[in-house]
Amino acid sequence: MYHPMKKYLFLTILCAVLLAPLNAFADGMQRERTRMVRDQLQARGISHRATLEAMRTVPRHLYVPGAQRRFAYDDRPLAIGYGQTISQPFIVGYMTELVNPRDNHKVLEIGTGSGYQAAVLGEIVDQVYTIEIIRELGTQARQRLESQYDNVHVKIADGYYGWEEHAPFDAIVVTAAAEHIPPPLIDQLKEGGKMIIPVGSPFQTQQLMLVEKKEDGELTTRGLMPVRFVPFERGE
Amino acid sequence: MEGSAKQASTRLIISLGLYSAAIIAFQLGLMQLISIVQWHHFAYMIISIAMLGFGASGTLLALARERLINASKWLVPVLMSTSGLFMMVTFHLTRMEFFRFDVYLLFVESSQFPILAANYIIYFIPFFTGALAIGIIFIKYSSQIGTYYFANLVGSGIGGLLVLLLLSRLMPQQVPAVVGIFAVMAALVMLTPVRRILQLVTAGLSLVIALVLISRPGDIPISEYKDLARTMNLPEAEIVHSQPDIHGFIEVASSPALRFAPALSLSYTGDVPVKKNIYVNGDYYGVIPDYIPGQTEHILDQTTQKLPWVVGQKERVLMLNAGEGAPLAHAFSHRAGHIDAVIPNRGVVSIMQNEFAEASGRLFLHDSLEIHQVEPRNFLASGAKGSYDLVILPQQDAFGGTAGINALQENYTMTIESFRLMWNHLAQDGFIAVSTWSDYPSRTSLKLLATLVATLEDNGISNPEDHIAAIRSWGTISFVMKKSPLTSAEAGKIREFCREKFFDPLLLPEIRTEERQQFNMLDDEEFFVYVDRIMEGDHSFLQDYGFMIDPATDDKPYFAQFLRIGNLGKMSDLFGQDQVPFLELGYLIVVVTLVQSTILAVLFILLPLFRIRKSHRGKGGTLFYFGALGVGYMFVEIILIQRFVLYFGEPVFALSAVISTMLIASGIGSLTSNRLPATPATISGMGMLVALLLLGYTFFLTPILQWSIAAPLVAKITLALLLIGVPAFFKGMMFPFGIRYLSGYDKSQVPWAYGIDGSVSVISTSLATLIAVEAGFMVVMAVAVCCYTLAFATFAMHRRVFR
Repeated sequence: MYHPMKKYLFLTILCAVLLAPLNAFADGMQRERTRMVRDQLQARGISHRATLEAMRTVPRHLYVPGAQRRFAYDDRPLAIGYGQTISQPFIVGYMTELVNPRDNHKVLEIGTGSGYQAAVLGEIVDQVYTIEIIRELGTQARQRLESQYDNVHVKIADGYYGWEEHAPFDAIVVTAAAEHIPPPLIDQLKEGGKMIIPVGSPFQTQQLMLVEKKEDGELTTRGLMPVRFVPFERGE
Repeated sequence: MEGSAKQASTRLIISLGLYSAAIIAFQLGLMQLISIVQWHHFAYMIISIAMLGFGASGTLLALARERLINASKWLVPVLMSTSGLFMMVTFHLTRMEFFRFDVYLLFVESSQFPILAANYIIYFIPFFTGALAIGIIFIKYSSQIGTYYFANLVGSGIGGLLVLLLLSRLMPQQVPAVVGIFAVMAALVMLTPVRRILQLVTAGLSLVIALVLISRPGDIPISEYKDLARTMNLPEAEIVHSQPDIHGFIEVASSPALRFAPALSLSYTGDVPVKKNIYVNGDYYGVIPDYIPGQTEHILDQTTQKLPWVVGQKERVLMLNAGEGAPLAHAFSHRAGHIDAVIPNRGVVSIMQNEFAEASGRLFLHDSLEIHQVEPRNFLASGAKGSYDLVILPQQDAFGGTAGINALQENYTMTIESFRLMWNHLAQDGFIAVSTWSDYPSRTSLKLLATLVATLEDNGISNPEDHIAAIRSWGTISFVMKKSPLTSAEAGKIREFCREKFFDPLLLPEIRTEERQQFNMLDDEEFFVYVDRIMEGDHSFLQDYGFMIDPATDDKPYFAQFLRIGNLGKMSDLFGQDQVPFLELGYLIVVVTLVQSTILAVLFILLPLFRIRKSHRGKGGTLFYFGALGVGYMFVEIILIQRFVLYFGEPVFALSAVISTMLIASGIGSLTSNRLPATPATISGMGMLVALLLLGYTFFLTPILQWSIAAPLVAKITLALLLIGVPAFFKGMMFPFGIRYLSGYDKSQVPWAYGIDGSVSVISTSLATLIAVEAGFMVVMAVAVCCYTLAFATFAMHRRVFR
């Protein structure tokens, strides 16, 4: 005799069977992230708790092109098209730690790219404003970010002008560095705020530059070595 | 191919000459085209593998000699047409999505390897089919090799000149189709009655395709990592001008987001000007300056490049490699009285004086500007008059680094000999100024400083701290070196400028440690220790540093080459294996080229050739003789190109002139060789003569060229023809001598000799570059001498060698 419960039981089993691989995949990715944070970030000295937690949470594999997904948690940058890359996980973590983000902060990012850095910041701070100049990348990143985060705002525009309506910012992360730092960005950085800029070719971050705006408006910079790059010594 | 094998056919000679012109023009045109899509070194890597087609054709000839020669009447024209057809389509095939390859991704994505292999195969086909056609002719008529080798060499020489003409008139992507027509014409010249329809169909099909490709050349799909591709990603970006030119394909792009302000001061609050950018072969070249006559401010005043102008006005200024107009406009804004600007790229000068004359405020037509369209070294040695208050060199390196793409680019402007000449052209209180982007680990800035200090040492100045000043921003370092000691007033002005712009002094007379990091701090403070050790003249430091930072010389003119090959392991430990390629991409690509071409040549050409010959009789002699000729010829060609580029100051013309003169002179030598007997005594005598001539060149060529560099052009050309032509004439006899000797001794070894020569020539090109980088051009020449000595010895001891 047919019992209505049998239908639900059947559906439950069917769902479990169908979703099992997805759950396993999600678990696998979570393990990858945990390993990434432990081996690539903590092992190299990154200790900012909120940064580590955010990078354990954000599914990096969703921010890389399909063909690259299996390499998403590798210790290296990946190509995302248009001559751009998604930075190596360590660099994302290091840059995030350096601006010392807090939950009440408002952060501007120049160069959304894949959207991964904005997502990591979105896990930590109050509001993230991110600008991408390449329309195709900006559109993809907007779809990814605005469905996941209501505190991350994407604009497709020239980052030179910053985002004046929401200025000043506690921190500015310039992931797509140009050969000059636009004066409007300096202007939109809060006094006491920090700006971080990676300097290098597409697959190599040689150095990070931290710009600090003091309370009196004076600006200083600091050339930082990524931690994995121990001080360069003589060849002897 | 009618007629007796003993009588050279005029049609065959014309056909061979025409085809040889086509294949050389194709090789050089393709080099230019791939350089636009990717980079110069990658073009070199692809073509070196493709050129192994010459070696591989030797293998096939050795395997199926009789059958190929029997079919030669119809096969040679069909092969030439097929080669022509593939010359036309290969580049267009590689534009297809499936074959799209990017050298930047080679070291990060394994999926690039099969695509690279597919590219190799595509480019291999036209060279293989063409080389097979030439090889069949050489072997069939080996007793008259002198005549056919003459046609081959003279045709190649003309092809080298032909491509210059084509590149200056056509879009680069049209060139392969045009040279393909020459190959098809070569086939038609020797049309034979056997299988005439097949010959006509392949030729006709090729011509139809050529016409389609010339009328619809399509775009050049440049790498997404090239400067131009990045620019074209910007909003409203467009190419506003493009122009073929022998110095490279010139394009001018505009976008409202293209701004020019290299390492702008953080104290600047004004607008950053939007500029159009100039690109040559897709690489950033400079900006179109929007000069306003009478202007007294310039955006470069907000950068460290203002340093030479901070210390006072300069009346007479010399700008070397001043293709980028911005420093020129900057100098005029500081009321420079007269500027000599040395700009080798004629195409850029032309667009600045014509198409963009008004947009650039007629800057390049300024009354006080004299433009010299030669290489800087040539100007310094022969054209510079009087003494300058300021010599300005172009900014070195690039923001974020160049990943070593230019590592093996010879740069005679940045050698120690060049700095000596600049010094001699300075007025008593004159300055040399040069800026660089900061890099990490520090390389360019340290090498620049080492070069400045060495220049002072050469001039007997042992207190460089009184003559060199340097300032540092967040992104750049600018140096000035003064002929007389810097005054305290000048030092004061520099300090004040630094305070105003948030820059830091790096080197000044009596500088204090705390002054060096007021605004721009460095985590790795060792940089300052390195700077001080160089200033102290610590030569051991230069030798021990992890990168090569000792000054470049004319013998090793690789200013942008920093890699010490022995340090690769340490670099890998320090930066991670995946990062190392991007420190010195250019150098590593040449190493990869050498390794892969050697492996492929040994595996697929030389080993099979060894295996298929059952008898070992004379093999060693053939290998030594033709191997030595292949290496020796290429090494001498590479050295002469380098020396005459410096001599004439016109790289593109010098390169073509050297190659064409060498090939034509060798061709005449080859023709002359018909009149001499190919006996061991003649051959060994010729080997000894060439070795002695080259030995003389090792020691006397550079002094002769230095002595005559300021001579009138006619005298220089005559001397160059003699210096290039004489050894080339004798060298040209040696290949046909060897082939004739072999055909009398053991005819079946002739294809083998052809294969060895083809393979070794390819390997030796990258080998010569690496030897030049590591040991200098003198050593390359010494190796060439050894090669011809080996060739001499092979025949001097022929009884033992050819047992």
